[in-house]
Amino acid sequence: MTTLEASSPLAARQAVVVRWLAVAWSWLFLALLLVFFEVWARAAYDTSFLLNRFNIQSITLFAVAPLLLALGQTLVIISGGIDLSVGFTMGLAAVICARLMQWLDPALGPELSLVIGILAAFAVALIPGLTNGYLIAWLGVPAFIGTLGMYGIARGTGFLAAGGTTVPVRNEYLAFLGNDRILGIPVPVIITILVVLLMHYVLSQSRFGQYTYAIGGNREAAIRAGINVKRHTMAIYVIAALCAAMSGVLYTARFSAGAAQAGEPLLLDAIAAVVIGGASLFGGSGTIIGTVIGALIIAVIQYGLVFINVEPFWQFVAVGVVIIISVLVDQSRSRLTGAHQEDR
Amino acid sequence: MKRLFAAIAAASAMLAGGLTTPAQAQKDLTVALVPGLTTDAFYITMHRGAQHAADALGIELLFQGAPDFNPTLQVPVLNAVIARRPDAILIAPTDKVQLVEPLRRAQDEGIPVITVDTFIDDGQYQDGSGPGDFPLSYIASDNVLGGRIAARALAEGIGEQGTVYVSNVKPGISTTDQREEGFKLEMANYPGVTVLATQFNDDDANKAASQLQAVLARNPNLAGVFGANLFSAVGAANGVRAAGKSGEIRVVAFDAPQSIVNDIEEGLVDMAIAQHPAEIGYYGVMTAYAHLTGQSVPIAIGTGFTVIDADNYGDPDIAKFIYSE
Repeated sequence: MTTLEASSPLAARQAVVVRWLAVAWSWLFLALLLVFFEVWARAAYDTSFLLNRFNIQSITLFAVAPLLLALGQTLVIISGGIDLSVGFTMGLAAVICARLMQWLDPALGPELSLVIGILAAFAVALIPGLTNGYLIAWLGVPAFIGTLGMYGIARGTGFLAAGGTTVPVRNEYLAFLGNDRILGIPVPVIITILVVLLMHYVLSQSRFGQYTYAIGGNREAAIRAGINVKRHTMAIYVIAALCAAMSGVLYTARFSAGAAQAGEPLLLDAIAAVVIGGASLFGGSGTIIGTVIGALIIAVIQYGLVFINVEPFWQFVAVGVVIIISVLVDQSRSRLTGAHQEDR
Repeated sequence: MKRLFAAIAAASAMLAGGLTTPAQAQKDLTVALVPGLTTDAFYITMHRGAQHAADALGIELLFQGAPDFNPTLQVPVLNAVIARRPDAILIAPTDKVQLVEPLRRAQDEGIPVITVDTFIDDGQYQDGSGPGDFPLSYIASDNVLGGRIAARALAEGIGEQGTVYVSNVKPGISTTDQREEGFKLEMANYPGVTVLATQFNDDDANKAASQLQAVLARNPNLAGVFGANLFSAVGAANGVRAAGKSGEIRVVAFDAPQSIVNDIEEGLVDMAIAQHPAEIGYYGVMTAYAHLTGQSVPIAIGTGFTVIDADNYGDPDIAKFIYSE
C-alpha cells in the first residue's frame, strides 16, 4: 500500500504504519467496549453479552444502514470532501424502490418488479451523485454547501414521490433480502459484508484508491501528477450515492415500506463512524476497515446501553462521551506517532 | 376486539346543528392550515378533511408548513402565512410557549386563531387566564386518552400479565409525551404488568428495532411494546420479527397509515390506535367558517380514536380511519 504523497520509501512505510495503527486503536477501543459490557452483563445479570448469538445478530443488523452510508462517506472524506445528502438519497432510493415495485407487481410479477425496483433505486441515486460531483468538481462549489443543497432537493423529491407518507410494498423476495438469515447471518449483513470487501479492495489495492488519498492529501499535487481530479471526484460522489441507494433498498426490504426520512437520523452517525475509524475530516487519511470498526463501536454502545438497562437520558450522554473519547484517543495516537496527515 | 371509541359527540353535534342551514358560498373567504409538519400522514390526512370542508363551503384553503416538527421552522412559515392575510388560521402549534407571541401577532392583525392537534399555553381558551387565552377553539384528540386506550388494548392482548415498554421518538414532543403519560397512567391499573424504561429512537426505525432486541435479550419474558408513533412501532415490530417472536410479543402502534395496516395484515403489528385527523381538519375549517359568518363556536372539540386490528381492518366503517391523502 503506497500513496502518491509519500515521496520516499521510508515515508511510504511510515504512512502504512500510521494507517495500521489507526485501525489497531479502533479495534482496541471496540474490544474495550465489548469487555465492559461483558463484565457488566456477567456481574449484574449473570449472562453473557458477547457469547450470545442473538446479540451479535442484532448489533450487526443494527450497524448495516449507517455503515452503508459511512462506506461511501469514507471515500468522500478521504478525498477532502463531505456529503450531507446521503441520508436523503437513501430515503429517495427507498421510496422509488417501493413505489415502482408496488406499481409494477400486478403487471410483471414479483421477480421482475423486484429487479426493476432495485435497479431504479440505484438509477435514481445517480442523479444526486452526478449532480454533487459536477457542482463540486467542475463548478467549484464547496462540498458542504453543494451537498446541503442536494440534501434539500433529495428530501423534497423523496417526500413528493412518497406522497408525504411511507410507501408500503409487498414482495416475498424483497422480504427475504430484508429479514431472512443464511447460516444464522441476517441477509442484509451478508450483503453489507460483500460491499465492505469490494470497497476495501478498491480503496486499498486499486489505483482508484491511491488517487482518492492523493486528491485528499494534496489536490494541487494530484492535478500535477496527471490525475483527472474532476472525473475522479465525480466518481467518488457517485459511489457515495450508490452506497446510500443500497442502504435504501435494504431499508425498504427490512420494513416492507419505503420512507423518505429513512436516512435522516443516520447521517451524523455515519460521519462519526468514519471519523472514529481514523479518518481525518481534512482529507488524506481513513480506511474502510476503520469505518467498519467505527460503525460497530456506535452500534455496540447504543445496543449495549439498552442491554445493561442504562436510563434513557443517560444513554444520550454516554453515546456522546464515547464518541468524543474515541476520537481523542485516535488523535493522541496520531500525535505520538508523528502522523503527518493530521498535522497539515 | 371491535371497540370504537366515539368522539365527544355533543360538541360536534352542536356544531353540525349550527350549520344545517348553510350560507351561500363565500368565495372570498380564505382559511390557512399550518400543520405541525408537512411530511406526515397524520397532517396530510388532516389536510384532506379540511379540504373537504372548504370545498363544501366554497371557500379557499391554504396549506403551508415546515418539514419538521420544530418551532424554529414553524414560526417563519406562520409569519409568511400571516402576511398573506387569510381570514382565519388553523394551526398545530409545535410548542406550547414559543408559539404564543407569534400567534398573538395574527390575533393583533385581526386574524382569528384556532389550534388543531396541539395547543398553546394550557389549552383552555377564552377563560380569562394565561397569556395564550386568545385562540377561539382547540380541536384535537386527547393524546393522554389515546395512550390509555393503547395500554388497555395491550393489557388485554397479553392477558394482563407480563413486561412491556414504550418505544418513543424523543423527549419534548407534546403529543408523544402525552401518549406515553397516558399509557403509563393506565398501566398502573394492571398490577400484573411491569412497564420498563422508555426507549427513545430519534424517529429511526432501525434504532427502534435494535432497542427492542436489546430489551428482549435481557428480558426474555417481554410480552408487549407500545410504539408511540409510526417509526417507533414499525421498528419495534421489525425487532420482534427478527427475534422470531411475531405473535408472541404484542405490538401496539399509534397512528394508522396504510403501511401499519399492511403490518397488521401480516401479523407483525397487533393493533393500531387510529386518531381521526380528517375529522380534526374538517371541524377546524367548519369552526372557522362558523365564526367568520357570525356564529358562536365551542371552545374545544374532542375527536375520537378507533382501534384497528386483524379482525376489523377490512371493514369499510373502520378502513375509513386509515390515513390517506
